[in-house]
Amino acid sequence: MSILNQLPGILSSMLFMSIPLILAALGGVFSVRAGIMALGLESMILTGAFTAVVGSYFSGNAWIGLLCGIIGGMFFGLCHGILCIRYKVNQVISGIGLNLLATAATTLLMQIIWGNKGSSESVESIPIRLSFLKDIPIIGDIFGTQSILLLFTIILVILGWILLFKMPFGLRLRMVGENPKAASSVGIPVKRMKYIGVLICGALAGMAGAYLSIDNLNLFVRDMSASRGYIAVAIAILSRYNPIGVLVFGGLFGLSDAIQIYAQGYGVPSQLVQMIPYIVTLVVLTFGVKNIQPPAGVGEHDDE
Amino acid sequence: MKNEKLLNLLNSSSVLISFVSFVLAVLVSGVIMLLSGYDPLYAYSIIFEGSLGSLRAISNTLIQATPLIFTGLAFMIAKKATMINLGVEGQLYCGALVSAIVGMTPLGLPGFLHFIITLVSGVIAGALAGAFIGFLKVKFGSNEVITTTMTNFIIINFCDYLVNYPLKSEGAVAQTDSMLPETLLPKILSSYQITYAIVIAVIAAIVIKFILDQTRFGYEIKVVGLNMIAGETAGIHVKKIMMLGMSLSGSLAGLAGATHVMSVGKRFISGFSPGYGFSGISVSALASDSPLGIILAGIIFGALKTGSMYLNMSSKIPTEFVSVIQALVVIFVSAPLLIKSIIGLDRKPKGGK
Repeated sequence: MSILNQLPGILSSMLFMSIPLILAALGGVFSVRAGIMALGLESMILTGAFTAVVGSYFSGNAWIGLLCGIIGGMFFGLCHGILCIRYKVNQVISGIGLNLLATAATTLLMQIIWGNKGSSESVESIPIRLSFLKDIPIIGDIFGTQSILLLFTIILVILGWILLFKMPFGLRLRMVGENPKAASSVGIPVKRMKYIGVLICGALAGMAGAYLSIDNLNLFVRDMSASRGYIAVAIAILSRYNPIGVLVFGGLFGLSDAIQIYAQGYGVPSQLVQMIPYIVTLVVLTFGVKNIQPPAGVGEHDDE
Repeated sequence: MKNEKLLNLLNSSSVLISFVSFVLAVLVSGVIMLLSGYDPLYAYSIIFEGSLGSLRAISNTLIQATPLIFTGLAFMIAKKATMINLGVEGQLYCGALVSAIVGMTPLGLPGFLHFIITLVSGVIAGALAGAFIGFLKVKFGSNEVITTTMTNFIIINFCDYLVNYPLKSEGAVAQTDSMLPETLLPKILSSYQITYAIVIAVIAAIVIKFILDQTRFGYEIKVVGLNMIAGETAGIHVKKIMMLGMSLSGSLAGLAGATHVMSVGKRFISGFSPGYGFSGISVSALASDSPLGIILAGIIFGALKTGSMYLNMSSKIPTEFVSVIQALVVIFVSAPLLIKSIIGLDRKPKGGK
């Protein structure tokens, strides 16, 4: 059992675990670039996970589940947007309030629908794996069992990067986040851009949640987002709000999750190894964020 | 005219905002109950009966309210010092664990001294956990919302490890040994479960009010909370205020944990807290950050919690309605503009919309 033999398995778990982090952090990037803090990510992931299961349960089709997950995430993104943009709520408090609401509401609805407050019934999960890679040595071990969503994730990161840094839309979005007054003075619809930012954020986080519930598993478990929303915020910060950086740091945090899974196989008490991803986040965030500034307009309310 | 008066009142009075927010949260939850086929009036009447309908019910309500008053105070004091302390839950675990360990270890001291040390050690444990977050913020600029969330997981998992392995008592349950009787808080009335923990909670609220209103530290916290740059210009050490604020917040959370094991748990039991730390956010929101208001808000949420457990015994209505109410209160109270528009006061004085 040399580490080399283990490596494809670890890399495979790393990819499994980093998909939701990358998707959610990418969402966070769009939100922050539009000037809205992304501390509500946790609620969008959790709701996405829940609505995905609900969609799959009632339709019997995992793709409709995925769509429902995205819509569920967008709904909480919209709530966050309305509270922050229209009602000028403190963005941190809004995020925390929505996170509390998502935990309470999903548990409540789970109990109403399935009569159980621990987990839902099993539903259809997303069936397509990248199995065409299975026969290639090593690559097949790493990628052969991955979900099609891995492919989606990579495409979305690239699209996100192009959108933010190579298209007029991205320039406008970033200007709204940096200096809403200046953006407004050159005719950019500031509020609309902010809403678009949080909606993209919600959609991506909802997809991350759907991945957790109907791809990685086939059911909803209470609080299954397990603070990934906060880890995703950390990833977004560390990546300096750049989608490519999200890919790198998302992979790193996915690796810490993968090590956790492997360490459990060696008889280390699970409570200790479960601490690993959170310790990694804490350490990296502590020593890695010096001199990283969010866009200048984040958290501010523009008065008209 | 009347509307204008009401609007002025709403602008001036955070109490009214809190009241309207609470009523709205209860109504929204009622509507959800109705839509899911339950009778909200029945549910709320049972909750009322189960939380305030008898002396025993009131005793249970106050038992539930005690940790909420502490965690509400903890969240509030950190917020005043410009820190969002989501780590109250973890700091509460620190206090509970350390108090339980000190309380179960025979120290050969007079009983009263052992009792004091048990209580104080929990407070110190919580304070250190809070100070650590403050240190990360002040020294490295780490966002405290994320560091507290991460440390919650680390602390709770570590406590879980300790009570599952090195500190586990005999038997199947993951818990420490029982604490010595002299380290437990005495009951107020012999036939009810309620202990002097509630008295400590009320005293803590009064002390915090005194600190905020009457001391230099309280004044500096207020200035920094209102305008950090102005505070710095006036010669206030903002970083020191943040550190002190977080330490004080952590010590209140530690007190919550310590008094809980010293009265309810009588030992540290794995996963003993149903999220007291997070409920503190709702408590401080409902009280709009007033220390004495937190006593009342803690009792209100304690009553809801107690009543919902009573409701759960007698019907199939899920207890999670209470968590929904708590979360909605946080959102509504933070959005006075939303409240005004819901009750129709956001219209301009003249001319249509």
